Amino acid sequence: MAHSESSPPSNFLIWIYLLVLALASVGASIVFPSGIAEGAIIALSAAKILLVALYFMHLRIERLFIHLLALVPLFFVIVLFLGLAPDIIYGK
Amino acid sequence: MRSAHAAETGGSGFASSAKLGLWWFLASEIMVFGGVVASYFLLRLAGPGWGDDIAHNSTLLGTINTIVLLTSSFTMVEVHAAWNRRDADAFRRFLGLTIVLGLVFLVIKGFEYGAHFREAIFPAKSLFWAFYYGMTGLHALHVLAGIIANVSLLVVAWRPEGLMRFGHRAEMNGLYWHFVDVVWIILFPLLYLG
Repeated sequence: MAHSESSPPSNFLIWIYLLVLALASVGASIVFPSGIAEGAIIALSAAKILLVALYFMHLRIERLFIHLLALVPLFFVIVLFLGLAPDIIYGK
Repeated sequence: MRSAHAAETGGSGFASSAKLGLWWFLASEIMVFGGVVASYFLLRLAGPGWGDDIAHNSTLLGTINTIVLLTSSFTMVEVHAAWNRRDADAFRRFLGLTIVLGLVFLVIKGFEYGAHFREAIFPAKSLFWAFYYGMTGLHALHVLAGIIANVSLLVVAWRPEGLMRFGHRAEMNGLYWHFVDVVWIILFPLLYLG
């Protein structure tokens, strides 16, 4: 099989990182007490999402407009969350 | 000299209209899944928590499915890399593997649903289970759509002339497939790890 100079090995390495992070999330949920586990799982999930987005979806080398297409909806999701939180969580 | 972007994506360095369209579609998908996940967080924070219901799910099956989907993302990105090398054998092999892994994910999900149904756990049982079936069902539909898109690409790319004409679509299929993977990366801890 022909190989390009960089892509296949780096893709393989990212895959290994993703598997390690996934197993670390499961381990954290078993080993750590609830509060610490939740924090660790959120951090590990964020790392996995960044790896997939930056390397597999090529966002690290994409143009600003593509980044905006990914980030603007996230901004609106945060607005939705913060806008509804007072009513739903605190019943005000 | 081609830019790093062009060298890695195999394109001209400019975002194609297909890629822009796909990213617009993914932006709408971020709003769909983002809205559901935000609602899950809000209602979970508002109540006593869903620890008992979450503990009812099989962490082992959820972990296996996570590994399956992460691996399918790797094989999918290798399809794109194979297209950039114009390596037809690797293109078809990795695309076939991605399809198989997507089917394995759905079969495992089916086993989980079957086990829940036998225990009479349906969406109406509680708010958590309504979210569980809603979110995993919506995600499974997206996996199915990705499989259909990949099978279509494999069929048209089976012949050399088809591969040369349609092989560039591996990038679009890949972007969609990786997005589906990202969604599962979010759902897995919410529904299986507490």
